[in-house]
Amino acid sequence: MKDQKRIAIYGKGGIGKSSTASNVAAACADEGYKVMIIGCDPKSDSSITLLGGRRIPTILDLLKQHLDVNEKDIVFEGYGGVKCVEVGGPEPGIGCAGRGIIVAIQKLQKVCPSMKDMDLIIYDVPGDIVCGGFVAPIRKGLVTEAYILTSGEYMPLYAANNICKGLAKIDTPLSGIICNSRSVTREEEIVRRFSEEIGSRLIAFIPKEQIVQDCERDGFSVLEKAPRSDIAQVYRKLAKAIMFNDQSVLPGSLEDERLRELTK
Amino acid sequence: MMGKELSIMHPRPSSIVAALYTLRDLNVDVAILHGPPGCSFKHARLLEEDGIRVVTTALDENGFVFGGRQELSSLLEKVNEMFKPKLIGVVGTCASMIIGEELHEPVLDANLDVPVLEVEVHAGYPDNTKGVLLTLESACELGVIDREELERQKVLLREATLVEKRHGAASRQYLEPSRGDVKYKVAERVVRLLQEGRKGITIMNAKKETGYMFADISAAVNEVALALGRKDHVVNMANIDDSLGLPRVRHHAKCITADLRERGITVHEIIGGMDEYPVTGARVSELIKQKYSDYDFAIITGVPHAIPMEALEGMEIISVTNGPRQVLPLKEMGHHHVIVEIDLHPKTLGVNHIVESEFGATLREVAKDMLGR
Ligand SMILES: Nc1ncnc2c1ncn2[C@@H]1O[C@H](COP(=O)(O)OP(=O)(O)O)[C@@H](O)[C@H]1O
Ligand code: SF4
Ligand SMILES: [Mg+2]
Repeated sequence: MKDQKRIAIYGKGGIGKSSTASNVAAACADEGYKVMIIGCDPKSDSSITLLGGRRIPTILDLLKQHLDVNEKDIVFEGYGGVKCVEVGGPEPGIGCAGRGIIVAIQKLQKVCPSMKDMDLIIYDVPGDIVCGGFVAPIRKGLVTEAYILTSGEYMPLYAANNICKGLAKIDTPLSGIICNSRSVTREEEIVRRFSEEIGSRLIAFIPKEQIVQDCERDGFSVLEKAPRSDIAQVYRKLAKAIMFNDQSVLPGSLEDERLRELTK
Repeated sequence: MMGKELSIMHPRPSSIVAALYTLRDLNVDVAILHGPPGCSFKHARLLEEDGIRVVTTALDENGFVFGGRQELSSLLEKVNEMFKPKLIGVVGTCASMIIGEELHEPVLDANLDVPVLEVEVHAGYPDNTKGVLLTLESACELGVIDREELERQKVLLREATLVEKRHGAASRQYLEPSRGDVKYKVAERVVRLLQEGRKGITIMNAKKETGYMFADISAAVNEVALALGRKDHVVNMANIDDSLGLPRVRHHAKCITADLRERGITVHEIIGGMDEYPVTGARVSELIKQKYSDYDFAIITGVPHAIPMEALEGMEIISVTNGPRQVLPLKEMGHHHVIVEIDLHPKTLGVNHIVESEFGATLREVAKDMLGR
């Protein structure tokens, strides 16, 4: 198998994982990489902005109907040839979304030989790792690198810190911290300190820009709709950093007290 | 509290299965397992021999992910149409309970005229009596049993759990299954004791329908004593009070009583109902102390480990169990001979007469041989 990057981006719900993942995917595609994005959130919102706002059938949608699932039924090409997959899931409050992720990913591996040809596979996971299913991509050896997305606020950092504990517990190295800004004072410094204290490093600082949301509303990534914007350049840089990153560490974690101090 | 409990390695009876058997005792016509198709298969099959239908919603991977509300409600409708039941039971399983399935909603969806007992149970309880309890609580809520019976059963269940923890299959981390002592050797010993003019007590302390087979051992001992001219050297105790317990359990007591009477066997002491095996110990002790302390041997069948040893002091003890893991604890309690009636339970389902036991048959044959000589 060729050198393949298989990454997952973790972080508090709503912090910007999906939008960062799709912009990074688009940027990598622009560079000529073969990219796949696998949305593991039952909300199925990871790939919309790569598909011009279109929603695709999810793996679990099809499995539910007892259909014979093939690659062409679940893998859809979006912007720049990015292959988009959505796992899907049950309605909120019913059944077991965690089991759904496990089942869907097993199915995907089975019916999708082109996964092997990818240069980059991004697993876009839900914010809260509530049960085993949500770490299935890592547990099943599918993900080789984990990233954490956070802002400089206390709660997202608290979540990030918890994720570090979780990663260490399941022996998964962390490849870096990405700061997605919420315009907090001294934000970059706070997140950099955090990154260093847990033994990792800050690999990008993404500013908060209205244009991200404007593009998203119209169903596009920034790379597609506003390729000349400053923030498009930030995503390109991040994409490069990820593609060339070869450092990862088993993360430590901070005491809650230290975390509060850091964000004061 | 939980952390202090002994963690037991050998597989144990399941609460789901306990719920199924309790539904049977409550005379449901159909029990629906809401879960995977293979769950509790062996017991589901056995229960069919007992005249109740067991069906499953057969949840598959889809069911685990999306839930099975629709599957359960349509199965309820289907069994209602096919089997015209008067009472239905719905039983949870690990799979459905872990994903948070509701049993009540599908029952409402199906909206049948038939009462439905809902038992939200899984197999993860350390004591399988939990399955019984949950079923009885649901039955009480639905008015199938009254509160008094529920409270009575609760006491029995608590005692049953304690009996298992003290000297039963829950008494230690791992128990090696065993076939016990060789039956014909023990049979020879029993005949010998009777020949020598020793006096013995048979104590049948059976759990519900298992009494159909354990009663055969009491019968065989009496037949042999009669053949030896020692009829009055044997007294019989049995937990066959037919005024206690759920209807089905009382029915077993009636049937066994009638069969024993027909065979000319007197039960001198009724020590309780057929669901009272965990609490008969005290009564047996009292009776022995008052009337039978000079007896030489005791043959205890069913749940022998529920009878306290103090009462039996000085006697030679022969016990018969249907649990291969019960042999070791019984030996440790001080029972001299321990016999296992392998696969007893399946043979006592769907019957209403005493069925032949291996030890009973052996005893009869050995006696014939020894008398012939
Ligand atoms: N750098 C940014 N600037 C402005 N808005 C952002 C930025 N990153 C994310 N957002 C917006 O935040 C919202 C939540 O992001 P999303 O990617 O869905 O979060 P997650 O996947 O972590 O739950 C979206 O509306 C998204 O457009
Ligand atoms: S694990 Fe639970 S649900 Fe599954 S078969 Fe066993 S008892 Fe049934
Ligand atoms: Mg998301």
